Amino acid sequence: MDIRGLLLVNSGSIGEVDQPATAALARTLDVAGKSPLLRMAERLQQYGISSLSAVVEDGPSVTPRNCGLPLDVPCVTAAPDRFWRTAESVFNDMAQKGAELVVLVRLSTFAEADFEKFVQFHLDHQGRVTQMSRGQQRLEIFCISASRRNDAASLFRTQLTRCRTECPLYEHEGYFNALADARDFRQFAIDILTRQAQTCPGGEEARPGVWIAPGALIEKGARVLAPAFVGAFARVHSGAVITRCSSIERHAVVDCGTVVENSTVLPFSYVGAGLDLAHSVAGLGRIVNLHRDVSVAVADPKLIGSISAKSGKRVLSAATDILTYLPRLAWQGIFAARAQQADLQAKLRQTSPVLGDAAGYETPACDTETSHKFPNMVVARRYGHQ
Amino acid sequence: MDINSRPVVVKRMPERINARTAREFLRDVRPFLSADRPQLVFDLSQVAQIDAAGVEMLLRCMSEAHKRDGDVKLASLSDQAAVVLELTRTERLFEIYESSTEAARSFSGFLPNAMRQQLLHNKRSAQPAAA
Repeated sequence: MDIRGLLLVNSGSIGEVDQPATAALARTLDVAGKSPLLRMAERLQQYGISSLSAVVEDGPSVTPRNCGLPLDVPCVTAAPDRFWRTAESVFNDMAQKGAELVVLVRLSTFAEADFEKFVQFHLDHQGRVTQMSRGQQRLEIFCISASRRNDAASLFRTQLTRCRTECPLYEHEGYFNALADARDFRQFAIDILTRQAQTCPGGEEARPGVWIAPGALIEKGARVLAPAFVGAFARVHSGAVITRCSSIERHAVVDCGTVVENSTVLPFSYVGAGLDLAHSVAGLGRIVNLHRDVSVAVADPKLIGSISAKSGKRVLSAATDILTYLPRLAWQGIFAARAQQADLQAKLRQTSPVLGDAAGYETPACDTETSHKFPNMVVARRYGHQ
Repeated sequence: MDINSRPVVVKRMPERINARTAREFLRDVRPFLSADRPQLVFDLSQVAQIDAAGVEMLLRCMSEAHKRDGDVKLASLSDQAAVVLELTRTERLFEIYESSTEAARSFSGFLPNAMRQQLLHNKRSAQPAAA
């Protein structure tokens, strides 16, 4: 039987479109190394639905080549006003090329569905369109008989809100994430890293619970505590601590002495030196703090910056760094006082070097008396497994 | 009994604090900072954006106040300001209050803020038990 998959990604159903980090989420941003789009494509392929197509809405977000999908999956980008028409025409192409069933998934949510049972349910009920549901909530996952073009057209023209005829509902029982806002986005990363979801982090498990993607650079003196993920070509500088289900996505940079705790650093983002990033999603010039439930624009690139998505610019920047490395070292050797290597405990208590003259203030730790007796106690309590 | 007769200066911070506005703000408050035992409260309720230069300026004010045996306290932190202060590990250096009035009143108190909060907490938790 010829079963094909059609993946739709647009921001129309995202609850908080004013938050770029959230809106961009649906546009193929990575979560623990792979985008929800790629994860769903892989899941469909696992169930034997290997012939896939994707329609992705044009957006300002950082979109990798072919939307991060394998090159054998055709990915069409469409303007927001042409999105549904494009989706319908891709569906019609599939039907013309011999598809008998089309599994349609709109990435407004992420559901780890059993597509084999879903397709069987559709065939058993001999329906034209079958929809997946989760309790009272109807998910935007459909199984459509490709010959029923009018039913499909009706579905696309109502933006998947209405079927032409009453469609049977298939109850989803597996993992589900609403992907509605930054909190869900963060929860998705946690669920992947703690293996609550079946989908795995990208890269290799270097140590139990620590996943490192190819090309990632973790400098000497940096600490990555499980569970955590460091994405492809990401860089964790000396003295940085990555902990408590934190996810550093591809090409992101965490500068010296920064603590990233229960946070996600989005792709191509820079987190400045000596900062405390906790319970947040950071990147694209913005921090979404989940404890305070607030999204803050950060204009200062010394705190949260961005790294060029263009490889040429990155190579140029790296070349400049290499060329200026020796002169900088000589300059520091001649003119700057030799800084003593502070231990990690002291570094974690100092204010950020980005504060210029005000850098290096000792900030009180949570339990100073104990910390004198047991130098590692504060680190263990604040940044370890609790 | 209020035994503090020195004035407490309450200053509202601008909406955007970058290098330029931080310099201007510092210039404005410098006369108060150079007084004997200065007591300042910065109201951050309107702060929508603060960068590293803004945080540096706050620390500089605090440092200058401490040199003259005074203090700088923060009040009514906006979410934006609170997030940046947490990010730069500076929120632990300041006494932070819900309102400017509370912050100003705290200068006249005898007990350090943390101890006062603890006593208040104990008092509140004891009340329902007594009732």
